[in-house]
Amino acid sequence: MKKISLMGCPNVGKSVVFSRLTGVSVISSNYPGTTVDFTKGTTAIGGKKFELIDVPGTYSLEPTSKAEEVAQTMLQEGDIVIDVIDATHLERNLYLTLEILGRKKPTIVALNLWDETKHVGIDIDVDKLEKLLDVPIVPTCAITGEGIKELTSKLRDARQSKAIEPMSEEERWLKVGEIVSEVQVVHHRHHTIWERIADTTVKPVTGIPIAILVILLTFLFIIGIGNLIIEYLMDPIFYNYYGPWIVGVVNSFSPDGLLHDILIGKSTIESLEFTQSLGLLTTGLYVPFSMVLPFVITFYFMLSLLEDVGYLPRLAVLVDTGLHKLGLHGSAIVPTILGFGCNVPGTLATRVLETEKQRFMAATLMAITVPCMAQSAMIFGILGRYGVKWIFIVYSTLFVLYIIIGLFLKKIVRGESPELLLEVPPYRKPDPSTLLKKTWTKAYGFLAEAVPFVILGVFIVNLLYVSGVISVLSTVFSPVLTTLLGLPEGAIVALIMGFLRKDIAIGMLLPLGMSPQQLTIACIILTTYFPCIASFIVLLRELGIRDMLKAAGLMITVSLTVGIIMRLILIGI
Amino acid sequence: MMGNQLRDVNPDGKVVPLTTLFPGEKAKIVALGHGIRGQRHFRTMGLMEGKTVEIIATQPARGPVVINVEGTQIAIGWGIARHILIQKI
Repeated sequence: MKKISLMGCPNVGKSVVFSRLTGVSVISSNYPGTTVDFTKGTTAIGGKKFELIDVPGTYSLEPTSKAEEVAQTMLQEGDIVIDVIDATHLERNLYLTLEILGRKKPTIVALNLWDETKHVGIDIDVDKLEKLLDVPIVPTCAITGEGIKELTSKLRDARQSKAIEPMSEEERWLKVGEIVSEVQVVHHRHHTIWERIADTTVKPVTGIPIAILVILLTFLFIIGIGNLIIEYLMDPIFYNYYGPWIVGVVNSFSPDGLLHDILIGKSTIESLEFTQSLGLLTTGLYVPFSMVLPFVITFYFMLSLLEDVGYLPRLAVLVDTGLHKLGLHGSAIVPTILGFGCNVPGTLATRVLETEKQRFMAATLMAITVPCMAQSAMIFGILGRYGVKWIFIVYSTLFVLYIIIGLFLKKIVRGESPELLLEVPPYRKPDPSTLLKKTWTKAYGFLAEAVPFVILGVFIVNLLYVSGVISVLSTVFSPVLTTLLGLPEGAIVALIMGFLRKDIAIGMLLPLGMSPQQLTIACIILTTYFPCIASFIVLLRELGIRDMLKAAGLMITVSLTVGIIMRLILIGI
Repeated sequence: MMGNQLRDVNPDGKVVPLTTLFPGEKAKIVALGHGIRGQRHFRTMGLMEGKTVEIIATQPARGPVVINVEGTQIAIGWGIARHILIQKI
C-alpha cells in the first residue's frame, strides 16, 4: 500500500482534510499544534488503497520542536505528499512548500481555506502558481468539503517539481517573495468592528476581566448543567428503572451469597444503594454513567467551544506573564486545560512546548496538581454535599501547589525556558454539528475506557475485601494514614484503587464514613500522590524512565507533605 | 540577509526594539535579532524585514506583545520582541 503524507503548517486545516479523505473523525481545533501525535488512516482513491498519514503541522522541516522532528521523519517515509496550504497566508506557507518540493517527492498542493481569501480580500492566480511550482494545485475548503473530490481525482497527477530545486534558506525566502508578488494581490481593507472587539480580549485591561468571566462561566456551566443531567436524567434512570430491574434479575438466580454481593452488593429493591454497595452492576455502572459522564459531557462541550471559537491562544497570551515566572510560557495553558479533561491527552499536548525542561515541568505539574474530569466529578459529588467550601479548599490547595512546585522546578531543572511565540488565530464561528460530534467522541472515549476499568476496579476491591488483604494492608499503612494524615486506615483501599482509576478511588472513600475534613485531605492526596495507570503509561513514554522516577519521587514527597500540612490545618494534632 | 528589503528603511528614522511601541502604533521591521529560536522561526510566522506591524496589545510586567502582520496576529514574548528592531511609521 502506498503511503500519502499530509503535510502543512499548523492550523491550516490539515486534520479536516484528513477526515474528509478517510472518513475518520479527527479532532481539529482553532489553535496551532492540535496534532502533536500523528494519525494514520486508509483511503481508497480510484480503486486503489492508500495509507494516509496526518503529519503534525510545522512551519519548516528544520526541526525546532518535537512535532517538527516527527514531520521530518514522516516526509521521508511517504510516497506521495499532499501539501496543505492556508491560502490566506500564502507567503509563510510557501516556505514549507518549497522545502517539500526541494525534497523531490511527488507532491500535490491543496490550497485550503480558499473561500476565506475572498472575505479577507486576497486574489491568488492559481494557474500561475501551478506553473511556477510545477505541481498540481487544487483550491479546497475542507470544512465544507469543497474541492476534496478534485483533490483525490488529481492525486495521480502528483509529481516531482522540476521548477523547484533544493536551495539555501536565503534563496528560498527570496523565491517565496518572488512567487508571492507574481501570483497574489492583496486588497487593502480596514479593521472591521468585530476585529476591534476581538482585540479587547487580548488587551490586559479588558482581557483579564473577560478571561475571569469566561473561566467562571465555563465552570458554572460544567457544574450546573452536569448536575441537572444527573438530577433529571441519570438518577431517575438508575433509581426508578435500572436499579429495581437489576436487583430483581440478580435476586432471581442468586438471592444472597458471594455472587449476589459481588454483582449488586447489599442493594435491595426497597433500599437501592449505588455509591456504597460496591457491586459490579450497581457501583460499577453508577459511578461512570451517573456520577462522572454528565460532567465529562459538559466539560468537553465547553472545551470544544472555547477551542473552536479560538479563545485559548488569547488565554495563553494573558497568562503568559504568570507562567513565565514559573519557567513555562503561555502555551502551557493549553495542555493544562486539556489535563482537566483527562491527563492522557494533556500530557501528549505538552509536546507543543519547545524544550525538554518545559515539557518535563508541564507534564509533572499536571500529574501532581491537575485532577481529570472523572476525578473532579467525584470530588464535586462527594464533597459538594458538605458545601462548596470544601471543594474550594481542594482546588485552591492544588493551585497553590502548582505555583510552589513550578517555582521549585524552575530552579532545580536544568535547561532552557524559551519565550512565547504563538499565532493568535482569528475568532471563528463554531459549527454546531462539529461541536456536538467532538463532545460525543470524547464522551464515548471516556465511557469506552472508564466502564471496563471501573468494573475491574470494583471487582478487585471485592477480592481485596473477601481475601482479607485489605485488613492486612490497613494495619501496615495505619501509621502513615492514621497517625500522619488523620485518615481512617480503611482509606488504603482508595489509595490502591487510585493507581487504577481516580474516580473509583474517590468513590471508595464514601463507605468509610469520613468527616468533610478527612474527605478533603483524602481528595488532595488522591490527586497528587500518583497518576492513574493510563496517565502513568503516557507519562513514562513521554518522560523516559529516569525523569519518570524523578517525577514520581516528587509526587510522593509533595503528597505526603501537603497531606500532613492539611491535616494540621483542618483537623489539628 | 534580505538586503534588498532594507532599501525601504528610512535612513533618518530611529531604529528601536519592538518592545518600545504602544498599542495602536505602527512600525516597519528593520532587523530580526538572533532571538532564541532564530530568524527562521520569525520568518515562517510571517515576521520579515520590511513588513509593517501594528501593535495590538502589550501586557504588563514585561509580558508578551501582540502584533498584527498583514492580517495575522502573533503573540511574541518580551524577551524575543526586544530583539526585533523596528522603525516607527
